[in-house]
Amino acid sequence: MNPFLLASRNLYRNWQRSLVTTLAMGLAGIIMILFSSLMDGMLKASERNATIMNAGELQLHLPFYLDDPDLYALIQGENQLLEKLTGAGVSASPRLYAYALAAAGSSSAGVQLRGILPVLEAQVTDIHKHLAQGKWLNDAAPYGVVLGRKLARTLNLRVGDEVVLTGQASDGAMANELYQVQGILKAVADDIDRGGFFMLAAAFREFTVVSEGVHEIAMKRSNPSVSLDRIQQEVQNVAGSYEVKDWRALMPVMARLLDMADSQTFFMLAITYMAVGSVILNAMLMSVFERIHEFGIMKALGLGPWQIAQLIFAEALLQAIVASLFALSLGGWLALRLQERGIDFSDTATNTSFAGIAMDPVWRASVSVHSLAYPIGFLIAMTLLAVIYPAIKAALIKPVDAIQHF
Amino acid sequence: MNLVGLAWKNLWRRKRRTSITATSIGFGVFIAVTFSGMGDYSYTNMINTSAKMGLGHISIQAPGYMQSPSLDKQIHHVNDIQQRLATLNGVEDSYVRIQGQAMFASAHKSVGGAFLAIDVNSERAEHNLFIRSLVEGEIFIKRWRGANETLSGIVIGQGMAKKLKLRLGKKLVYTTTDKHGDIVNGMARVSGIFATGVKDIDNSVTLLPIQTLRETIGYSADEASVVAVMIKDQRYTDKLLKLVQLRVSELGRNETEVLSWRETQSEVAGMIRLDRSSNQVSQILIGVLIAAGVLNTLLMSVLERTREFGVMMALGMAPLSLFALVVVESVWLALMGLSVGVLVTVPWYLYMNRVGIDLSGSIGDDYSAGGVLIDPVLRIYLYPETILMILFTVLMLTLLSGLYPAWRAGRNPPIDSLKAM
Amino acid sequence: MLSVLRKQFSAILVFFLIVQGLLMVRMSIASDVREPENRASIMLRHIDDLWRGESSHSLFSMNIRTARYSRTLRLEGWSLGTDLTLVRILAPKKEQGVSSLKSGKHLYTYLPRVDRTIRLTSSMMMGSWMGSHFTNDDLVQESRREEDYNIAISYEGERDQQAIIEFTLMPKPNAVVVWGKVVLVILADSLLPLSEIFYDEDLVQTRKIVFSDFKKLGGEIRPATLRVIPSDKPNEFTEITYQLLDFGVPLEDNFFSLGQLKRR
Repeated sequence: MNPFLLASRNLYRNWQRSLVTTLAMGLAGIIMILFSSLMDGMLKASERNATIMNAGELQLHLPFYLDDPDLYALIQGENQLLEKLTGAGVSASPRLYAYALAAAGSSSAGVQLRGILPVLEAQVTDIHKHLAQGKWLNDAAPYGVVLGRKLARTLNLRVGDEVVLTGQASDGAMANELYQVQGILKAVADDIDRGGFFMLAAAFREFTVVSEGVHEIAMKRSNPSVSLDRIQQEVQNVAGSYEVKDWRALMPVMARLLDMADSQTFFMLAITYMAVGSVILNAMLMSVFERIHEFGIMKALGLGPWQIAQLIFAEALLQAIVASLFALSLGGWLALRLQERGIDFSDTATNTSFAGIAMDPVWRASVSVHSLAYPIGFLIAMTLLAVIYPAIKAALIKPVDAIQHF
Repeated sequence: MNLVGLAWKNLWRRKRRTSITATSIGFGVFIAVTFSGMGDYSYTNMINTSAKMGLGHISIQAPGYMQSPSLDKQIHHVNDIQQRLATLNGVEDSYVRIQGQAMFASAHKSVGGAFLAIDVNSERAEHNLFIRSLVEGEIFIKRWRGANETLSGIVIGQGMAKKLKLRLGKKLVYTTTDKHGDIVNGMARVSGIFATGVKDIDNSVTLLPIQTLRETIGYSADEASVVAVMIKDQRYTDKLLKLVQLRVSELGRNETEVLSWRETQSEVAGMIRLDRSSNQVSQILIGVLIAAGVLNTLLMSVLERTREFGVMMALGMAPLSLFALVVVESVWLALMGLSVGVLVTVPWYLYMNRVGIDLSGSIGDDYSAGGVLIDPVLRIYLYPETILMILFTVLMLTLLSGLYPAWRAGRNPPIDSLKAM
Repeated sequence: MLSVLRKQFSAILVFFLIVQGLLMVRMSIASDVREPENRASIMLRHIDDLWRGESSHSLFSMNIRTARYSRTLRLEGWSLGTDLTLVRILAPKKEQGVSSLKSGKHLYTYLPRVDRTIRLTSSMMMGSWMGSHFTNDDLVQESRREEDYNIAISYEGERDQQAIIEFTLMPKPNAVVVWGKVVLVILADSLLPLSEIFYDEDLVQTRKIVFSDFKKLGGEIRPATLRVIPSDKPNEFTEITYQLLDFGVPLEDNFFSLGQLKRR
């Protein structure tokens, strides 16, 4: 007799028990799917968060620029380079840096000028979304600037106030100009908070008399599913002698901190799987041992041990499949909802950045083939493993013992 | 009828089932301990590390110093303050420090940076990140001038040493503004070099002996910019904050502001809040999972005993008693599960607390420098109330999971159940 | 942390340096002679006093050459006592009228282009002078050389067809100086300085100041030109040349006012 047919009849006959077992397995499957996609989401977010505020995923400089940032260490011919970089599969934002003195009222402070093109910058970082007050830079206000949080406090500046900037232009002359504060950032990272002075690239060039070239090109993959290493290689091919570094090399301590967090996440995932394993093991042991009496009778009726084992495996497999379908549909649906909406912690977290790492207060899941397939595969494998011991026990039991076993 | 005894017997009639269920409850305890333990440990670690960067868990400063730290804002009578705090229960130690910005110059170059002036005799390495990460030399050099001990030297970061081309014993001139805002300078020889692994810190932070610096900037022996208070248990920060405020205000003659790490390190506080919430989500998911496992076994055992319950009802047992019986069974199960949980978890907890899992292998071995700030070993630690919380939650989960099966048992009509076999 | 402070912006800083009045015209009044002096100390005191006076008025130009640019500024300055200094840029046109007033601890700069006066605190000054060819030693050197150094005459005689005296200055153990050694060469007959070479503690040369263009300034023969050359960048220098230097000019305190700052 076909073991599957017999198995499904058995399951149907004990429908309440089968339902309870299958639901427990299904729930375990749902939890695994939710957990895997939430953890995946967290891993993706940690990389994203490390790069989205300011660093970008890759940066291109003149060699040694990072050790000794110099106004004259310019990447020349940036327009052709930007085009080539786009061809290599990244969004790229050119940046200019200089140091100057900002003064307002009776206060003054050293600032780091950051000249950017807002449209391109928005393709690489989300800093424009981190304003505490006012508006981000736009071409309509050529002399509008956006300041870091602590800098604005030091200079006692509010949105709409004017600020005097004085510094040295590239020709050695003393430059000075008036700007209007257009926005003030939230906490980003200490150096930006204390000295970040964002301005349009055109205003930067006018102030510093740097007519061509940029200091830095920050990049982000256009397609996040391509590996960063591969993109970095392609960017390096295009970039020639320029130095291309990924965010890990740019922020080694941060990268290590995140790696630590990622290892912890894997550790948690492993423990969750163990918990799921225990639930399935539990369910399977119960569903066989509770019915050992029944199997004894079957054996008395002439079923061989192999057939009993086959039957038990068939039952387990059928339940696992139903549970998987249930988990996939309900768990998948929930995970997709979490991917869209996320879990919002913004009430609990007021500060949304830490040492240059954006902390997205919305925890989103990331649903992918493997965040669905691994939990289901684990569910089925675990079920089959869990049933080995009870199946052997049931197959080898003497009918007399089994009937007494009540 | 003795329900408690009957329930106990019932459980032992089905040894295997009971042990499976108890094991899965125990496993729930294990997981809860691991998850909460990771949280408790890492938050405490982060809070303590940030406290060690200079401002303590609680810091006493001049009003407005937090917004714009400068040397013209100082607090007075720091020795009185320290003395008053020493007797406060829960305070481990307090340190008097002067923090400020300065230019540091060698014959080759000058760089801007910050100094932390400390009283090295009272500082303990475990409360001072920089002392702990010393890689060369010593903190300061002690000399006896008559009966008085004097300290000289300056401890600088590895990055600054490289920039200024300095080695141990070489001199460095620092320039800062004194309490009146005038430019003053002092000379010190490098007595030690530290490496925390964080570039910004290694490039710009220095340690100076507090007495020498006081002379340079015109502070009296009773003045400083901060009194940093380290407390024994960071969870009592808020309670101690009030007590510290009270003690300081009793002095009466001092304009001060008492702040907690939540204010002085608001970024760390924000990050912990966020991480704690996401940890809670994971714990809820795990809780649901464990509850599902327990529900499964209890429900199965009720379904399977339909006939038994039918017989009992036919013998005159009230449905409510049956309900109570199953509830008591789940209480017994919960207690057994907790015992199993404690048995399994204690060795695991001890191992994870003392040894931990070294994750540095999976991260790369370039850890020597960053080791101070980033602990590559995954450890767990639990506060006593977290332990109680876990035990209580697991107990409640088990009881809640038992309610539906108990209701099923109580509702069984006797005729149907007798036919069931 | 503080990464901004670490960077330099040398145009303003050189300007502020001049304002500090510490480059050449050291405004402090010669102090009384206390200890018995050796010959070296007396000669060095003479050099220190070369640029000291109660009040001054000067016209000078500044020539800065770096690998990136070279430019020349013409400036006019007034000083009274140690606390009051006013400096104005006369050329180039782009920066004409920029003036700076140092009054005690406060430093004000008027920027005609934007018609604003900005105020800098002395703590701000700290962050701003680095990176130029001057060091903070130049800025805050108020004490006399003999207080900081043990002075010895290391050579006396003919060098490059000139009779010279070479002093070797070794810093005293607790002196607040960055140098490991300073070698000063002066003309034996006029006691005017020719060069000053600075070494680090490993006795590696780090920079050099060369004096030249001796002429009558403020009633006495003085070197009108001073050139600072960093040893690691021998092609760069900052040079100051005095066209006019008058000591003992009649100036009142109210000359050093914010109103005067804006006057073109």
